[in-house]
Amino acid sequence: MIKTENLSFKYNNEQESLVLEDINLTIEKGEFVAIIGHNGSGKSTLVKHFNAILLPEGGTVYVKGIDTRDESRLYDIRQAVGMVFQNPDNQLVATIVEDDVAFAPENLGVAPSEIRKRVDRSLETVGMSEYTHHAPHLLSGGQKQRVAIAGILAMKPDCIVLDEPTAMLDPIGRREVIQTLLKLNSEEGITIVLVTHNMDEAVSAERVVVLSEGGVEMDGKPREIFCQVERLKALGLAVPQITELMYELSREGINVPCDILTVDEAYNALSQIENYNKGLKRS
Amino acid sequence: MLRDITLGQYFPGNSPVHRIDAMVKIILAVLYMTVIFIAKSFLAYGLVAAFTFFVIFLSTVPIRFVLRGLKPLLIFIVFTAVLNLFMTGGTVIWQWGFLRLTREGIIYASLMILRVVFLIMSTSLLTYTTSPIALTDGIERLLTPLGKIGFPTHELAMMMSIALRFIPTLLEETDKIMKAQMARGADFKTGSLIKRAKALIPLLVPLFISAFRRADELAVAMECRCYRGGKNRTRLHESKVGRIDFIALGILIVFSALVILSNKSG
Repeated sequence: MIKTENLSFKYNNEQESLVLEDINLTIEKGEFVAIIGHNGSGKSTLVKHFNAILLPEGGTVYVKGIDTRDESRLYDIRQAVGMVFQNPDNQLVATIVEDDVAFAPENLGVAPSEIRKRVDRSLETVGMSEYTHHAPHLLSGGQKQRVAIAGILAMKPDCIVLDEPTAMLDPIGRREVIQTLLKLNSEEGITIVLVTHNMDEAVSAERVVVLSEGGVEMDGKPREIFCQVERLKALGLAVPQITELMYELSREGINVPCDILTVDEAYNALSQIENYNKGLKRS
Repeated sequence: MLRDITLGQYFPGNSPVHRIDAMVKIILAVLYMTVIFIAKSFLAYGLVAAFTFFVIFLSTVPIRFVLRGLKPLLIFIVFTAVLNLFMTGGTVIWQWGFLRLTREGIIYASLMILRVVFLIMSTSLLTYTTSPIALTDGIERLLTPLGKIGFPTHELAMMMSIALRFIPTLLEETDKIMKAQMARGADFKTGSLIKRAKALIPLLVPLFISAFRRADELAVAMECRCYRGGKNRTRLHESKVGRIDFIALGILIVFSALVILSNKSG
């Protein structure tokens, strides 16, 4: 789906160090990838290469086999990889929800009857059908962000890249957006690339890529990544709250596994210990 | 203060007035305004009033909404009326010092008030019954002939619709910055005019910076959604001129003819 080969980038020539250095990353179709890293690690810069907003200084980026430098295929790339940004207010262009969702297909020159279908379907997918005729500025943050996602869905993309889509939302809005993404990934088979600061969100992904100083530091399943609590902390990153708790407990000498990502798993692990202790007492 | 501005406020509905094609509606509004300027007798204004209230009734927009649009322009209306009242020559009815009231003055002033009131009512009725998107779309289509000689019609319409989209966002932002500055001791309400104008600087600078940042982000977001100007662009709502538009045009022509006739008789 997306493949980078020795990707390097810097914003201007005066800059001494590279923002991105020698990145080799392959994102397969249908994957749900979370990209994490501290501020300035190059996360946003990296994902902006995925739909040719930025072009590589060195190396190459391929989207569905198309080199992003190929200007004649620019709109094929942009249509295939949609992008959602942090601030929902700054990406909605129209004064009415349905007009906003229609913006991308209008740009692509899709026939009006087909646009109508896509708008209705996209809004239904993100659960915003009842707000079709509303003004976006009256919606909540989470709702606005879901409208923004619908606006990308209306292009019929293969992949959606989201650059910290929940950073400006309240917990309810966050949950709405993450639920929507999980649904898009599992039901529509859309590849999701989620840049995030929130480790509890990164847990929902099937794969986590950790960036540091413009390079890929770690890449693997959430369980493998978050297990390495000390390494993550050295990179200036946190781990999910429940993993942190388990980590602290094991440091205190309580025998719990470290690869725990959810509250349920933690409950099971702790009740096992309790049972074991009870067993000890009885014998 | 900012809430009183009715321009650009849309009152959703499905009345015959709402259903008139935006481009046709703009043409009709211009035609109607021309008729207001032609009208010279009180009988003609009677007709204009009857027609305006008939359209308001048809549009299902509450009349107080339409009248509210007059409020911010009250001073302007009074000012023109007073000027006309005292500055017109003719038969003197009453005089006090240099102030002179003439028969013609009274007539002119009252006609002027009627004219301005109906002008404002008609423009606010246009924006009440047409969504901003439809309105900019209408303007774009009206300007299409100019596009042939290289006039950027699509870009202009896009700019207008984005400006309309960001009015509430920027108002909200202004309010937020104002509160933030007030929390740090800024004073926007007291002092001389110059002092108050100076107090606006810490409000305007952050507002401008954030507006530029928003513009930048919006431009990238639009590019991500394959925006490339008006070329080969389609529309969700295809607008075509239909039966209702011709009926509306017919009614307005009859109305104009009646006004012109009544001018002669009165």
